[in-house]
Amino acid sequence: MDSKLKKRNLTPRTIIRVLVALVIVIYLGWRVYQIAFGEGTFGPETWMRLLIAGLVVGGMYALIAIGYTLVYGILFMINFAHGEVMMLGTYAGYFILEALAAIPTPTAVDPELTFLNAYPVISLIIAFVVGAVFSALLGYLIEKIAYRPLRRAPRLIPLISAIGASIFLQNAAQLLFGPQRRQYANPDFLTRGTGWMIPVGDKKVMLTYTGVFSLALSILLMIGLFILVKKTKLGKSMRAVAENKQAAALMGIDVDSVISKTFIISGVLAGAAGVMWGVHNGLFNHYVGFLPGIKAFTAAVMGGIGNIPGAMMGGMLLGLIESLGPALFGLDFQLKDVIAFTILILVLIFRPSGLLGEALSEEKI
Amino acid sequence: MKTSLKRGIRIGFVTGFIFIFLMVIGFTAVGTTMIGNLLGTLDNIGADARLPVINLLVLICIFGVITGINISGKNEDHNWLEIFVGGLSAGLIGGIFIAAAIWGIGSLHMQGVDFRTYLPKLTPDELPYLLFYSTPSAAATAYLMYFFIMTVATALLKRTLSIGNWMAKLSNRANLGVKKLTTKISFKNFFSSKLTIVILLIMVGVALYFLPLVWGSYWNYIMGTVAIYILLGLGLNIAVGFSGQLVLGYAAFFAIGAYTFAILTAPEPHGIELNIWLATLISIGTSTLAGLLLGLPILNLRGDYLAIVTLGFGEIIRILIKSDLLTSLTNGPNGITNVGQPSWLGKVFTDVNYVHLLMLLVLVGLFIAKRLKDSRTGRAWIAIREDQTVAQATGINTFRYKILALLLGAAFAGLAGALFASRNQFAGPEDFTLMVSINALCIVIVGGMGSLPGIILGAFVLKGIPELLRELEDYRLLVFGALLVVMMILRPSGLWPAGKKTSSSPDSDAIIQDKGELEA
Repeated sequence: MDSKLKKRNLTPRTIIRVLVALVIVIYLGWRVYQIAFGEGTFGPETWMRLLIAGLVVGGMYALIAIGYTLVYGILFMINFAHGEVMMLGTYAGYFILEALAAIPTPTAVDPELTFLNAYPVISLIIAFVVGAVFSALLGYLIEKIAYRPLRRAPRLIPLISAIGASIFLQNAAQLLFGPQRRQYANPDFLTRGTGWMIPVGDKKVMLTYTGVFSLALSILLMIGLFILVKKTKLGKSMRAVAENKQAAALMGIDVDSVISKTFIISGVLAGAAGVMWGVHNGLFNHYVGFLPGIKAFTAAVMGGIGNIPGAMMGGMLLGLIESLGPALFGLDFQLKDVIAFTILILVLIFRPSGLLGEALSEEKI
Repeated sequence: MKTSLKRGIRIGFVTGFIFIFLMVIGFTAVGTTMIGNLLGTLDNIGADARLPVINLLVLICIFGVITGINISGKNEDHNWLEIFVGGLSAGLIGGIFIAAAIWGIGSLHMQGVDFRTYLPKLTPDELPYLLFYSTPSAAATAYLMYFFIMTVATALLKRTLSIGNWMAKLSNRANLGVKKLTTKISFKNFFSSKLTIVILLIMVGVALYFLPLVWGSYWNYIMGTVAIYILLGLGLNIAVGFSGQLVLGYAAFFAIGAYTFAILTAPEPHGIELNIWLATLISIGTSTLAGLLLGLPILNLRGDYLAIVTLGFGEIIRILIKSDLLTSLTNGPNGITNVGQPSWLGKVFTDVNYVHLLMLLVLVGLFIAKRLKDSRTGRAWIAIREDQTVAQATGINTFRYKILALLLGAAFAGLAGALFASRNQFAGPEDFTLMVSINALCIVIVGGMGSLPGIILGAFVLKGIPELLRELEDYRLLVFGALLVVMMILRPSGLWPAGKKTSSSPDSDAIIQDKGELEA
């Protein structure tokens, strides 16, 4: 309501906001111009490399962000434990790949061949399916135990419960599996650090196999989700529940079961993102879900929370900002999170409903 | 019949799962040690260094008893058959579940599998004890038997003595008592007579003065931490509890206060070494300024958006402190050491003086918060919290009051930060993680939103008790997380809910539920 009023009246604050926005946009444009035509600190191959890295990590953010957005769209709550759901997926995939790497499948050519390398595609499929299933199960259980009894509580209460669930899961993973970092066992054809060399200018940039694999898989999953939400009956009932729970219930939709299924779907996506994270980045420990979780929420908000294409776009955009931002602003790479969060704050100040979101009615904010 | 069977199976499954989970995270070792200490069985360990098996048996039996109590639930209308079926199924399912896990792990262990690579708590030293120093199948049978018998026996015994009815009555009464205590005895009623106030104040003052002298430095350290967190909770309570603005990056203000103080008073890296008290004031000033700078653009956001923006702000500050960009100012990841210590008349504060100082400041903070709450400003905040649109319609300048709440919250955090840095003689970036913000928020929520005594209670529960349970140190965050969830489900209005003057009903639980129904 505030924003609607403000739009009609040209208050001093609106003018200040517009001016600040203009200054930021002009500065950004100037930096981009400088880097593109002036300084030349980084060659085109560096930009290409950063762009690829940004897209790959953006795909994973997008998958996790969809989970946040689906849940927020229906329950209007931040599922703070969603990052931990992803973390469990990473662990599940890790154990599966380790187990498959321990099964000997000797052939005449190579007596030391393991199942993982004898049937790499099947192994990866198993790992992704198991990771997604475990994450989905965890998402379902979290909803059932920690959120369902709080359906009618005020907004802060489920948030605190979610924070509690997140702390619990993180520490449970640390106690179960130990605090040390673990290394994913990839099949040989997806060895990290190998890839196609593509020529950019007079130099070459490596397009890693894991990166291409992750990006392709995340795009595939996003398309699948889109079809699920737009074309199937479940998707229709999900949209109906998000629109209005009471009306949906009156139309004969089992709201509780739709909510459960929503958590399961978000869990599947988060689990896939988790396994992807492990396959692409290799090292992980029980904190693996924390930062991606916050970032993905950031991405969901940036795209317009509750809006699925918004979450996809927000995730990709956040990945790119994080990757290109430090080089673009001439800052240190360790400040990538600062840039990501600053962009988030700026987006929310100047366009609180997100980039693709429509203005939400008051009770949904 | 069918429902009790279902219920029994579910309970058995859940209990079995919890037991296996606790075993794999190594809690059985800690639990049996605690039981051993209680029973005194750990005193005479034989030459073979075998731990007494009885401790583990007691642990299993405790689990069986808990399961048995759960069978009949709260109401006692079940008949004998139902109880029997429930107990039988729960004991059997849970027992078989546990036994199967023990047997599996045990036989793998016997074959020489080392679990430590994947499950580090299942060490080769620990496993034989879990198997009662015997074969896997014998151990599994023992687990099954003890668990099963204890479950069925407890369930039947509880029904025979109808302990459940007693317990229900007792817990009802206790609940009522607590509610009366926490809602009826607001400060106003309690302090109605001037004599009581004077006597109480003198008693509390004397206790607060003498306790730190006799506690020893360990307790003083813990109490210092609790006091700093009370200050943090008081500040955050103004923003979250009074005015309803969910701030998730509160640690940022804490960090700004601490670092301002550290930079101004430490010999390294700048050598300013300003007067301590002046530096404290400046710390409060800078974090208030940060609150203003953050609040001006974002405070017209609502609810979760505000939460996520402030969370981002907290992370930004932490990363900036750590980064190379500000290393010259903040010493980067190493932090600032030798932060200045307060002194009075040339004497540096001992830990006892320190706790006294902190207690004094907590009292001052409580006084300020209390006066604010009862003032026109406080009423405006509460109006904004309850319904911003209505508050605006009644002529409250919501933006100004929200900014004011954030500024005051930031000021408290700045003070707490200065004290924290000064007491630890150190300020490092890892002291100001998101966990600190979450802890402070949980103090406010667990104590009871907007309730001042609740904050003191919350700080003791969340920061004091975990410090004391050192044996369970590894598990305290786990328990903390679980506790938050359980607490939100069972008692969402907090341990000591704020009495609401504005409403006619004294039962704040009911109010919150009503409100929730309206919102849903």
